[in-house]
Amino acid sequence: MAEKLIELRNISKRFPGVLANDNVSLDIEKGEIHAIIGENGAGKSTLMNIIYGLYEPTQGEILFKGKPTQIKSPLDAIGLGIGMVHQHFMLVPSFTVAENIVLGNEPKHKKLFIDYKKAVAITEELSETYGLKVDPHEKVESLSVGIQQRIEILKVLYKGADVLILDEPTAVLTPQETEELFEVIRKLVNDLGKTVIIITHKLQEVLAISDRVSVMRQGKMIGTLQTKDANEQILAEMMVGREVLFDELYKKESSKKEVLSVKGIKARDNRGLVALNGVSFNLKAGEILGIAGVEGNGQSELVEVLTGLREMEEGEFIVNGVEAFNKSPNEIRKLGIAHVPEDRLATGLSKDASIWENLLMGIQHEEPYAIKGVHINKKKVKERTDRLIDEFDIRTPSGDLPVGKLSGGNMQKVVIAREFSFNTPILIIAQPTRGVDVGAIEFIHSQIIEKRNKGAAILLVSAELDEIFRLSDRIITIYEGKITGEFLNGEITKQEIGLYMTGKHTEKAEGGEKVE
Amino acid sequence: MNKKFLKRDLEYILSLFLSILVSLLIGAFIMIANGRSPLLGYGALLKGAFGSKYNIATTLAKTVPLVLTGLATAISFSSGIYNIGGEGQLYLGAFAAAYVGITFTALPKGIGILLAIVAGAVVGGLYAYLPAILKVKYKIDEVITTIMLNSVAVLFTSYLVNYPFATTKGKMGGTEIIAEGYHLKRLIKLSTLNTSIFFMGFIAIIIYYLMEKTSAGYDYKMVGQNSLFARYGGINDKKQMIMAMVISGALSGMAGVFEVLGVHYRFLQNISPGYAWDGMLAALIVKNNPIGVIVMSIFLGALKTGSVSMENATSIPSELVLVIQSIIILFIAGEAGFKEKFKELNLKRKSKQKVGEKNA
Repeated sequence: MAEKLIELRNISKRFPGVLANDNVSLDIEKGEIHAIIGENGAGKSTLMNIIYGLYEPTQGEILFKGKPTQIKSPLDAIGLGIGMVHQHFMLVPSFTVAENIVLGNEPKHKKLFIDYKKAVAITEELSETYGLKVDPHEKVESLSVGIQQRIEILKVLYKGADVLILDEPTAVLTPQETEELFEVIRKLVNDLGKTVIIITHKLQEVLAISDRVSVMRQGKMIGTLQTKDANEQILAEMMVGREVLFDELYKKESSKKEVLSVKGIKARDNRGLVALNGVSFNLKAGEILGIAGVEGNGQSELVEVLTGLREMEEGEFIVNGVEAFNKSPNEIRKLGIAHVPEDRLATGLSKDASIWENLLMGIQHEEPYAIKGVHINKKKVKERTDRLIDEFDIRTPSGDLPVGKLSGGNMQKVVIAREFSFNTPILIIAQPTRGVDVGAIEFIHSQIIEKRNKGAAILLVSAELDEIFRLSDRIITIYEGKITGEFLNGEITKQEIGLYMTGKHTEKAEGGEKVE
Repeated sequence: MNKKFLKRDLEYILSLFLSILVSLLIGAFIMIANGRSPLLGYGALLKGAFGSKYNIATTLAKTVPLVLTGLATAISFSSGIYNIGGEGQLYLGAFAAAYVGITFTALPKGIGILLAIVAGAVVGGLYAYLPAILKVKYKIDEVITTIMLNSVAVLFTSYLVNYPFATTKGKMGGTEIIAEGYHLKRLIKLSTLNTSIFFMGFIAIIIYYLMEKTSAGYDYKMVGQNSLFARYGGINDKKQMIMAMVISGALSGMAGVFEVLGVHYRFLQNISPGYAWDGMLAALIVKNNPIGVIVMSIFLGALKTGSVSMENATSIPSELVLVIQSIIILFIAGEAGFKEKFKELNLKRKSKQKVGEKNA
């Protein structure tokens, strides 16, 4: 009965040196929620960008309502009623909600001036029709990420979209916001007859929201399933192409001696706004302390302050009994802190340098890698490079290859190999598996746990709540530069922690029930 | 790691070679268009540069300042701080050497020369230290300050040699002749080639060793490639930038010293016809590779020497060499773009082949 709305037939898209889509075929039926899943680099976004007219396919054809159609630009796509909400929002922060929604197709009076009143009316009407509550007069910069996403969706609907493509819509949302978004999607599809294509790599979400799911791997379409016939195991195997074991991680207990403590840390972000407003916690040997928070609530600044990359305004920072207030990154490293930064390309690596050069950072002046601290001992460096490549399963033909030529997962392994090889008592790890494929995630998690079991103290910052819950012994939540809660893992559910991450715990703290 | 030539190095050398070849071809067309024989022209150029002992000596003499200023560029650029002030540092270094040479006339030969070299290096280094500090402490763009400081140095030394230090023998805009003990020995009759080429070789080896084999060289390179990564890894990136700049200034200063001690025996107000710029050119063409700087300096030196002979023998103007140089630069600058186009073409050809295979 279902009418085929969009049909992709044997689509291939080639970029210089990469075949991003390889002979992909896909049907989108009217009125369905269709999930596209796959690891990073599987070609999901490329395929969606082809539908939205941002890329032209190298080969293959697109049928819209059964007719061969050329989509040469987003304007064509919008004309066909296809709209896309990108992973990174494209809103003007200093404009109001109403201005953002009508941007590009503004109601005018006298053909010259923007009719702001009408824009507000349009916004209110859209908001009413689709049940997406927004305040038309509010400026976008003061709104939460979840609301901003609503505005993106309204923007697309304003342009008359019947098909909405959502690219990784939940990546930046809390569990509550994700649930709200799903409500919206269900309403759009069930009550208003829209069609939704959702790109994601989170398996649970696929199972929760979609009617059908298509899996991509290495540019190829592996298959399309009815969601009711799928489960996590099946989908994971289709994504990775081999059996994936979600093993329970073995945790060994050791003595819990405090090795790091901070008290009342204050710091500003790059724009000079307060990012950390009196943060205090401590970290013990043999534990993983997870920091949960919505991105942009001070986690990045906290990590930078603790590793000497950002100045702190006040506070106390003690490492193994030594005051480390505003010491340089080098001095802090000497105190026994290794650091896996959140952005490996900006901070953690030099992409033009070879793997061995990247692995050498930090010990380039030390025996035996530098003879008398001057002459680099290529032989010893090569031995170590080869050992780490082997130990950390870095997939490369040679240690001479520039790091920039590796995949995201292998680049991350280079960073982790280097930082873990220093055998420091303290590790500060931020977003260890961001943009990393499933196989590498398993490996990185097991390495982190191994470090913990050997008695290292680990501070883990991650935007993936699953990761925090999987690895941490203790969890603290951060919201607007303040610590809002501290829990032992197991004491609290993801839903509850979501409230602490958004500062709403005070409203519901009394009524909140603990579910285990 | 046994440094084999990596694929990308080879690729670069190949594209460099092609660029030079094509530039020479274009030069040939220009000659033909003007009714001259390129064979005769290039023949005369080659002969002028390498045709006799004297010619080779003249070519090599030209490479001394190019190599030193080229290395100066290489070490600063690869550390992520851009010293465009080589010319000014060269002038001040040269003047410092001349000052030592006319003031401490009684020093024993070797010691005097060393003192002059050190003086030139220190003055050049200090003159580069100023913009480095401005850059690191106050974020003032070093490209602009070093360019402006060039004019300051050239005009300041020009004032010095026309007024306080002007020679008493005629008005020529130069200092007195430096004491006999400071003169570097000439190696080939009539040519200006002198023992400074050995000093240059020694300095080049040190710089090569520093940049390619030491921990400090590693630090410079990492700061240049990604200063945040360097800082994260524990390198004091600001200190490294200042050091690189000072070494760069010292090298340029020494280039000036050798012009005084080996060629003119005095400071002249127009002592450099833009050596630092040609040296920078050499370094840019080979992407700051120290060995490449030497090879490229010899090439540029040969073009310069040969062009004069070419003009004499065939009346093809020596400026043609400037045209050829510019075209090389154009090709090198376009290298990345050309590569992309080339790859694209290659891919298209391959994919077409595949389609063809299927059809067949």
